[in-house]
Amino acid sequence: MLRRLSYGQSYILLGIILAAALVASAGIGAFTFSPERMFRYLGEGLGWIPSVAADDLGRNVFLKLRLPRVLVAGLTGAVLGVSGTLMQGLFRNPIVEPGLVGTSAGAAFGAAIIFVFGESTALSFATPLGSLAVPVAAFVVSFAATMIVYRLSTSFGKVNVFTLLLAGIAINAVCAAGTGFLSYVARDPQARNITFWNLGTFTTADWRGVELIGLFFLICFVWSLRYGKSLNALMLGESEAASLGVNPERLILQLIIVNTIMVAVATAMVGVIAFVGLVIPHVMRMLKSADYNFLLPASALFGAITMEVIDIAARVIIPPAELPIGIITAVIGAPVFLWILLRQTRSGSVGFYG
Amino acid sequence: MADVDRVSYRVGETVILDDVTVSFAPNRFNVILGPNGAGKSTLLKIATGLLEPTSGTVCYGDRRVGDYSAPALARKRAVLSQRVELAFPLDVEDVVLMGRYPHYGRTPSRRDREIVSRSLELVGMTAKRGQQYPTLSGGEQQKVQLARVLAQIWNYDEPREPKYLFLDEPTTSLDVHYQLHLLDVARGLLDYDCTVIAILHDITMALQYGDVFFLMENGRVAHEAHDAAGIPVELVERVFQVRASRVTDPADGQGLWRFSL
Repeated sequence: MLRRLSYGQSYILLGIILAAALVASAGIGAFTFSPERMFRYLGEGLGWIPSVAADDLGRNVFLKLRLPRVLVAGLTGAVLGVSGTLMQGLFRNPIVEPGLVGTSAGAAFGAAIIFVFGESTALSFATPLGSLAVPVAAFVVSFAATMIVYRLSTSFGKVNVFTLLLAGIAINAVCAAGTGFLSYVARDPQARNITFWNLGTFTTADWRGVELIGLFFLICFVWSLRYGKSLNALMLGESEAASLGVNPERLILQLIIVNTIMVAVATAMVGVIAFVGLVIPHVMRMLKSADYNFLLPASALFGAITMEVIDIAARVIIPPAELPIGIITAVIGAPVFLWILLRQTRSGSVGFYG
Repeated sequence: MADVDRVSYRVGETVILDDVTVSFAPNRFNVILGPNGAGKSTLLKIATGLLEPTSGTVCYGDRRVGDYSAPALARKRAVLSQRVELAFPLDVEDVVLMGRYPHYGRTPSRRDREIVSRSLELVGMTAKRGQQYPTLSGGEQQKVQLARVLAQIWNYDEPREPKYLFLDEPTTSLDVHYQLHLLDVARGLLDYDCTVIAILHDITMALQYGDVFFLMENGRVAHEAHDAAGIPVELVERVFQVRASRVTDPADGQGLWRFSL
């Protein structure tokens, strides 16, 4: 469908779909809002039109709960889409996503450390960082985890898929053990937090989350757009990329940093959401092109669309309760992951790439 | 002219290249010969500027390789190695366009696009320009990679400047048709102010296509010959540990090599 459109036209189409998904996601749920009502609240919230006092409850639910939640979901989807694209480019393989290579699990572990020990004296250094302590800790551990997996799975500038999977399993296990230990020693409310958040949730989304994820996403997204050409060149392998004028060492470091910043901030806010980063770039590749200059913006848009749809599903499947996001994404994403892996094995092409 | 001057390369105690000095003949097909482990690949890597030697220098013309910025170096020389597999369904045209990456910033110019089409034409892959790279056969994939390096050091239009094409066993695992095609296209570049420097795994093919030969043994250049006939048979026998003989093809009087154990 997208094949016949230019890159620009594809973005416009995805943008229109995203706008529709945002309106739908904002309107559907325990409280249902008509688009007309939503725009009125929006106008009232911005002070453009005088508020109707009788409708305080609806307005508060919409402006303080629903709207930030919808925006956090969209931004998180965009982060995961871009991150999946960057990681697949870095590892030169479509089975890679932040959940596989330790980025998410590392971020979860780092954040859990602050959740549990953040208040205690031993880690009082965290206090001056204030509300940024959680994302910063998430970044540090996440960066280390991703770097270790990359180094382990690469030999002579080429990525070995089996080593990649095994290294990912090992690092994820270490991080999960760490997080598990922390939730075991934590006092009850903290432990509950960690459990919830290991499955991903948007229920706690607020405007501060919108600001934080939005700011870091914007910076990292604009930054990552510079790497379209380099990511394409890297498909050929590190030494071929080098002969095209790319410095692979520097590129790899920068990719892991920009990716980890986004994922760490998003994970610190909403928890671990697996498989979205895997599926998004894959679908965009099938529909249009494997060119990273296209995939980066397209995956941001399509990631946001997908996350809105999943969030609507999370709200309406078992009302009045909500399903954790991570459960839905795993149910949809794991079969896709296996399908891609199987297809690679059948075509005999699992092994070394680029 | 590409000059390697007193280059040594060591990893720990192991000496891989030992004080090598070679001057690759400009606009000729230079072949580096030698058995496995003689240091051919290391020498080629250092000559491309991708590997820093422990000591010594590499110059293109009178400019040191280290003085080029990465994109400037990529516009000066290209490297074609063994066939690359891609895990992604990138279009053939997009792969060839990579050769133009060092030449443009954000978006390719119309000239970049034109060079891509003409490169595809030169390797005879125009019909497959819109196809996905992983669906091509191994030989066709290598033709696309060849088009990519042609686009990278495009020198068919005036004004020309000296360019260098490095071949690192690019014909490995190709059928004979594709091997001959690739080497023919590479030889064609010699008329356009381009110097070819190659390692070829098929020694018979190497002797047939080369102009200048550098025979390597244990990290040194043991012999330099400006004609396949000028390579001493005994030396080839010793270096490669085979029995060699030179026969004359009755059809065209060309010298051919035969090897046996």
